[in-house]
Amino acid sequence: MGCSSSLPDRTSGRLAGPNIENGGAPDPKNLRVKLVLLGDSGVGKSCIVLRFVRGQFDPTSKVTVGASFLSQTIALQDSTTVKFEIWDTAGQERYAALAPLYYRGAAVAVVVYDITSPDSFTKAQYWVKELQKHGNPDIVMALVGNKADLQEKREVPVQDGIDYAEKNGMFFIETSAKTADNINQLFEEIAKRLPRPPSS
Amino acid sequence: MEAPAAAASPSVTFYDFLDRMRNPASLDLVRSIKSFIVSFSFYTANPENDGKRVQEFFLTMEAAIGEHPLWAGATDEEIDSALEGLEKYVMTKLFSRTFASVPEDSKIDREISEKIGLLQTFLKPEHLDIPAVLRNEASWLLAEKELQKINSFKAPREKLSCIMSCCRVINNLLLNASMSENHVLAGLDDFLPVLIYVTIKASSPWIFLHHLFDHISDLDVVHFQMKKQAEAMFVMERIRFVLLMANPPQLHSNLKFIQLYRRQAKLVSEAAYYFTNLVSAKTFVVDLSAKSLSMDEIKFEESMQAARLTNIATQIEASPTLQGQTIPIPPTAMHDKNKDISDLQMPSIGIGGSNYPYMDAEAGELTVGDVERLLGLYKDVVTKYRSLCTAVRHLSVSKTEPPVPHSEGTSFLPKQPEGINTKIDIQRED
Repeated sequence: MGCSSSLPDRTSGRLAGPNIENGGAPDPKNLRVKLVLLGDSGVGKSCIVLRFVRGQFDPTSKVTVGASFLSQTIALQDSTTVKFEIWDTAGQERYAALAPLYYRGAAVAVVVYDITSPDSFTKAQYWVKELQKHGNPDIVMALVGNKADLQEKREVPVQDGIDYAEKNGMFFIETSAKTADNINQLFEEIAKRLPRPPSS
Repeated sequence: MEAPAAAASPSVTFYDFLDRMRNPASLDLVRSIKSFIVSFSFYTANPENDGKRVQEFFLTMEAAIGEHPLWAGATDEEIDSALEGLEKYVMTKLFSRTFASVPEDSKIDREISEKIGLLQTFLKPEHLDIPAVLRNEASWLLAEKELQKINSFKAPREKLSCIMSCCRVINNLLLNASMSENHVLAGLDDFLPVLIYVTIKASSPWIFLHHLFDHISDLDVVHFQMKKQAEAMFVMERIRFVLLMANPPQLHSNLKFIQLYRRQAKLVSEAAYYFTNLVSAKTFVVDLSAKSLSMDEIKFEESMQAARLTNIATQIEASPTLQGQTIPIPPTAMHDKNKDISDLQMPSIGIGGSNYPYMDAEAGELTVGDVERLLGLYKDVVTKYRSLCTAVRHLSVSKTEPPVPHSEGTSFLPKQPEGINTKIDIQRED
């Protein structure tokens, strides 16, 4: 594994450490980052997170958490750590108008589509535009084509994803939550792109 | 998601806080707290400003406690629990001044409550496409109960903790479904519809009974002791009225209160996430139209209309004035009631029209000769309304569930249920 994974913090909003949640100056060595996941229902948002946090995919396995809020800390090579607090959103169309409640204040948005579903790619582009219009202007955005293991059913060419991401200044990666391909790379790459608070 | 460790003993930490405040060494802190609380009586309510002032005060006190000799050598956790105690103390004292403190908030609460009252009569899990494996009445009821507890607390932290408990129950349900039913975990795609459904169901009739019991005990002392039948009747009518007007769950005000007054450093992370989900559920309900549901648009409108009629009918039927009893009810309540009915614009009833010439009459203008005519009109109205009620019930019985009384008017709103620790005070000789 490319990142040292620690157990997810499951202390339910209680103090995880004395210097983290006191609203004081951010510690440049230990970042805490709100990451919001956007994408159509069924593209595998939750599976990506479960894979990242728990290192497992098997959807029938006995996972022991509700899959909508999870957090995971990764250590980078420069000895800083980044704790991702991952906010899932509901992908169904009827909840689309509620998304701003979730991405408000997010430092990172991961927009996910399914490479076997052109509709989900269209929806991803909708979310990118939405974030550009209403999101935090410094938000780091990643475009993720998931289900890369289903090559034979691919309907969205890799190049389409690359081109769209490039045009919109996003980081692009194709992942497979099923095989764990590129899952850690996705979060490491995001961590590298985060603006750092000036270290004193 | 697990029970917050510290929530297991909130009262212990709170009494510890009160103990320290009784220590003579904390005199300076007690003075600051008391003068801060008193300062609120000098201004009219302005939620955003009030929230800012309270948050600033918490920060000031955090610094003061951190440097205070009483907490010398205290761990971060001990300081944190002192701050939790402070939040609870201050917000309990300021509760009536800060909770639903402006008319706009009560109005929004009432509107949401009314809409929920209508939706409750016909909304089914399939309208939100909740998968069958997640339809677990027992779990939902448990989640509803957790959410309903929100009105039994005054401290923002405890209110927030009710939301967390409700969400925890739902998460457990999703987890169980994934383990026993091989249901693929779908994160918020599964969670949110269940939370919305639970939120709507959480204002079901029996919550009104809880409020009723709170209220009976108040009235009890005042009225029943008099042992006069008329008084007792009066009280019974009042109770019926209170039941009708019963305090709705005040979803909007509870959320706003937590947002403004929960210590900002604590409304983060998982707590912020689940809080946001309830805000999201509320927003969904407020904006809910036929398009928000998997339901035919015409059927939706019909169901809403039937629910409205049923609600009106229920109110009219239960209204003391139309029961042939001479129970005095305050004119303001009557006025609100009439207004609310006429607001709904039911042309067939023709309120204020020529059929009912006394609608705008004042008591002083009436003569003895009017009595007979009034009595005739009164009987006419009652008969018509009774028929209407019966007709509506027949109409709606096939597709709707029993109506839910919802809030109208304000004059008999029961007071906030008392939290478990409302009688707190920092008592000291100084």
